[in-house]
Amino acid sequence: MVRDSFECEVKMNRREFIKASAGASLYPFLNSCEQQVRWEKAAFIKTKRSQVAILAAEQYGSSLRDTIRRGIEMFRLELNGRRVLLKPNLVEFDLKGAINTHPAVIEAAVDAFKTLGAREVIVAEGPGHRRDNEYLLTASGLYDVFKEHRIRYVDLNTDDVRLSKLKSSFTHFHQLYLPETLYNADLLVSMPKLKTHHWAGVTLSLKNMFGVVPGSVYGWPKNALHWAGIVGSILDINSSLPLPRFAIVDGIVGMEGNGPLQGQEKKSGVLIFGNDLVAVDATAARLMKIEPRKVKYLDLAGEFLGNIGYEQIDQIGENLHPYQQDFRVIDNFAYLKKLV
Amino acid sequence: MLEESLNLLLLGQNPDGGWGAVAGKRSNTEATALALLALQAVFKKTTEPAVQKAKTWLAERQSVDGSWPLNDSLKESSWSTALAIIALSASADFNERVIKAGRWTLEQEGSKPGILANLILAVTFQKKAVQLNEDLIGWPWTPNSFSWVEPTSYFLLALKKIRRNLSSKTVEERIQQGELMIYDRMCDNGGWNYGNSSVYGDRLWPYPDTTAVALIALQDHQERKENQVSLRALDEMAKKTDSGLALSWGAICLSLYGQEGAELKQRLVERFAKTKFLGETKAIALGILAMGNGARFFRV
Repeated sequence: MVRDSFECEVKMNRREFIKASAGASLYPFLNSCEQQVRWEKAAFIKTKRSQVAILAAEQYGSSLRDTIRRGIEMFRLELNGRRVLLKPNLVEFDLKGAINTHPAVIEAAVDAFKTLGAREVIVAEGPGHRRDNEYLLTASGLYDVFKEHRIRYVDLNTDDVRLSKLKSSFTHFHQLYLPETLYNADLLVSMPKLKTHHWAGVTLSLKNMFGVVPGSVYGWPKNALHWAGIVGSILDINSSLPLPRFAIVDGIVGMEGNGPLQGQEKKSGVLIFGNDLVAVDATAARLMKIEPRKVKYLDLAGEFLGNIGYEQIDQIGENLHPYQQDFRVIDNFAYLKKLV
Repeated sequence: MLEESLNLLLLGQNPDGGWGAVAGKRSNTEATALALLALQAVFKKTTEPAVQKAKTWLAERQSVDGSWPLNDSLKESSWSTALAIIALSASADFNERVIKAGRWTLEQEGSKPGILANLILAVTFQKKAVQLNEDLIGWPWTPNSFSWVEPTSYFLLALKKIRRNLSSKTVEERIQQGELMIYDRMCDNGGWNYGNSSVYGDRLWPYPDTTAVALIALQDHQERKENQVSLRALDEMAKKTDSGLALSWGAICLSLYGQEGAELKQRLVERFAKTKFLGETKAIALGILAMGNGARFFRV
């Protein structure tokens, strides 16, 4: 692994901060560290091609169970006797908004994984803004769902932690405390909402993993990650999670504009499935008419974590094009809308 | 509720004397400090051994520099130091430890964005993402990061409780600066969230638990307009929030502002009957403090 100099790390952090606060037009000025390899080449062997499934789902109804089961079955996951950990997006709650993964999607996913042989399905999240789990679960409707189906919920913000060495070095961290619950599960399912994001461009299955980082160590919001650089943090977390992953993106109703909290609802009527989270996010970005190669963290993730190229991704299920919609982004990210 | 929640709390105490976030989890400073306060609020002879074990757990975890790490897995000093100060300041036996922690607290401050970032913002006429005064310094969750409302409130409260014992010129300065920071982060119609009132011009909304904690930290300015507006915001939010954490902090806050909070306490009882506050030590302990005249531990 090529180790970065301290100077370069500082530049990287500064660059990310500026990108978030002062706009992407400044980006080229501070580009000097980009060409260095920041991951152990031997630790990341990409498949040549990836599969992503888009399945139509018009609304949050009872038919979701069949749709989600069908989506999971397309990937022939080994689920018998396994403990599956679902990680939805519960960063915050707004009754009028579309911030969170819908409870109906989570409920249907629990049912589907159990039906397909999972020994246990746990729902876990480390909400990024709120410390009040009881409020979040009750207001979102999840409390009743969990009670009815006897689903265990783990607050990853206050879970026991283990110090984990990072497998890439896009930030200064080198190691992060991660929740023990991750180490006791067999499959981590990222279940984000299809949203634009005012700091990162888009927030999908990779960015959703900010929620596994414990707030009791890194704060609310997960400010230490922002301080270290959002792009680098997304990459370092996703390169270093200790278990296999799958993604189910709730794109039935997403969010455009000033996401992830204050944007507007945007109906897309789809769920997106895949076991290459980079390919899933690239497809989800294209669905929003956002060029994944221009989303910095996706572009870098495409170099070592998964496939980003349209030609590298086999679309199974529905075709992408009929479902593509123009999701608005804030002015600082206008450049993401130029598809290549 | 009081008896049942007390039993639940006692059942959750780990053999090492501390409490985890929920029963069975590793002991941590936040949960143990609040549990200790709760047990002291409803003092009984039968709970005395649990109190002593909790005090010992806290005393043994204090670092050489005076701070507390969050738990035994972490070496780093943490924001939970403020809660340990509040919990141990109730007992004269720990004066020395508390003062040492107070001195450590005075050395900690939130970071600011660098000169380069501000310079580039200025020369490119970029719209500022957030509307807050970065020069006002409070306390961060974790060293070398930004100041936020909740840790600043805890540290303010801790310093205000022990200010007379800290022979340092900087105490009053830091308290004043921390208060200014909290007022600066207030949401447009009163109340606080984690510490941002808007992003790119779109308003963010306050949270009842954080609002109550901030108001508790600012209790010596009850007459200020911001406090009064935020108190009304808390009242409105509490009506629509069903959670042990929010209702407990809300009831404690109202008590410190001279209000009975009978309605909140009634809803707290109902909520506990329904959810047991998800078994979270923090919420159970705060519920006991709210119902058992424990607000006095947060009075300055």
